[in-house]
Amino acid sequence: MIDIDKIEKLAALKLKEKEKETILNDLEEIIHYFEILKEVNIENVEPQIYTKEAHLFLRKDETENGLCKEDLEKNKTLARENFYRVKHIIGE
Amino acid sequence: MTITNLPISNLTSKLKNKEITAREVIENYAKNIYEKEKNIKAFINLDIEKALKRAEELDRMDEKKGLLFGVPVAIKDNMNVKNYETTAGSQILKGYISPYNATVVKKLKEENAIIIGKTNMDEFAMGSSNENSSFFPTHNPVNYDYVPGGSSGGSAASVKSEEALAALGSDTGGSVREPAAFCGVVGLKPTYGLVSRYGLIAFSSSLDQIGPLTKNVKDCTIMLNAIAGFDPRDETSVNIKKEDYTDFLGKEIKGKRIGIIKEVMDFNIQDEIKEELKKTISTLVKLGATITEISVAHLKYALPAYYIVAPSEASSNLSRFDGVRYGLTVQGENLTSTYELTRTEGFGEEVKRRILIGTFALSAGYYDAYYLKASKVRKILANEFEKAFEAVDTLLLPTTATTAFKLGEKKSPLEMYMSDIFTIPVNLAGLPAISVPHGSDKNGLPIGMQFIGSWFKEKELLQIAYAVENG
Repeated sequence: MIDIDKIEKLAALKLKEKEKETILNDLEEIIHYFEILKEVNIENVEPQIYTKEAHLFLRKDETENGLCKEDLEKNKTLARENFYRVKHIIGE
Repeated sequence: MTITNLPISNLTSKLKNKEITAREVIENYAKNIYEKEKNIKAFINLDIEKALKRAEELDRMDEKKGLLFGVPVAIKDNMNVKNYETTAGSQILKGYISPYNATVVKKLKEENAIIIGKTNMDEFAMGSSNENSSFFPTHNPVNYDYVPGGSSGGSAASVKSEEALAALGSDTGGSVREPAAFCGVVGLKPTYGLVSRYGLIAFSSSLDQIGPLTKNVKDCTIMLNAIAGFDPRDETSVNIKKEDYTDFLGKEIKGKRIGIIKEVMDFNIQDEIKEELKKTISTLVKLGATITEISVAHLKYALPAYYIVAPSEASSNLSRFDGVRYGLTVQGENLTSTYELTRTEGFGEEVKRRILIGTFALSAGYYDAYYLKASKVRKILANEFEKAFEAVDTLLLPTTATTAFKLGEKKSPLEMYMSDIFTIPVNLAGLPAISVPHGSDKNGLPIGMQFIGSWFKEKELLQIAYAVENG
């Protein structure tokens, strides 16, 4: 039932064959366990995504100190002359 | 007087009266850490020097204020503490230095608490025993052969072993309450939205909530006073009036209506835990509370619903760990392969398993059968709790069905998931709940009793927990 190769690709993982086999077994056991939910009558029930509705709000238009470049330097993301160094993400 | 025995309010008043210094406090806790940490391994990162430096600053202050003045606090390693490495127990974040403080950490610092270190945890908070930490497992301070519970196992162990006076954990399905029960400390999961999640590494955003682990209910209440409150940086934070949660502590609980969930008895519960439940009921009756049997008919469906909802959200939240933004990078031939190689090497087995469960549950053709269905079961459960709280003020049930198990004892993932059967329903409904130590089993392992309150009724919840603790 589970197309592990497809799921793996969607999840951006690349499992070793042995790992794939173990995880597939676990997944099948776990997903089989979910079958118990078939007993529940969900007719006319609305899904609940959040426990209480979240409300969007606007922050006050006030300046405050955000991240300083000195704080980010520890992660070695600052190259020089205030330029940020990012990893190569263009081009296939 | 042993400094490390003092509860929060006694410690802060002695510091404010200059009977002791903050430096002495940290030195005493450091002594415990040097003695015990090699056996317990509660911390991933410790910085005693930094804590001593902060203590000296506090000692130099003329005006000694703050709810947590000089209190040594441990922080679970999935919360950002500025200039500390924050790993969430994962290799994929190794080397990531937090450039900012989580709101809870900022609040603790404003109350002049001293951060002593970052505690060990199951990787990305996925686990019930701390064995899923990618660094090392933590041991239960009560008996080193046993797990401390998880995922906030390091936090619970640090408080139990007096390596810290209080700690913060995060609770997605029981990750504060289960380790609290296993280690014999108090653990609170506040109502969803009461405590800001800003700066907490997200596992399952609709379930995660930060809560304190402490030696007793009063300390827990003081910690909640420090960390609760609206935060515009967390859109799920709820804007309600700031309360003093200590208000009701010590007030009598005569006439309080306590509900016992009928369906709990359908589960296989260790005999000694059933005994402690009976004793708790007797104490409540003695204190004048009334006991009512309540039905939460869909209780047994909480666990499967949770293991669909939480991994689904996790599969999305953990997509940000791609080898580009933080920590580990394993360079591949192209960008896609860099993503895949980094994630495959950086994530541990349980994390990969949950990402895959979530990816499956959300994938085309399965969404309705799994995620949507689970979200509807969640609604049914929340409705049942809502109805229960019309009839009673608080629900009582054990925190766990068994006491702590041995390291390496639980083999299959599903078996491990079952550890959370009594804590998970609370997260699905977003309710507050507290685990309070209550007796121990024949091997001396602690037992925890759990009280569940209605939404934002932390005051009443803590009042009842306090009464039982002192009854």
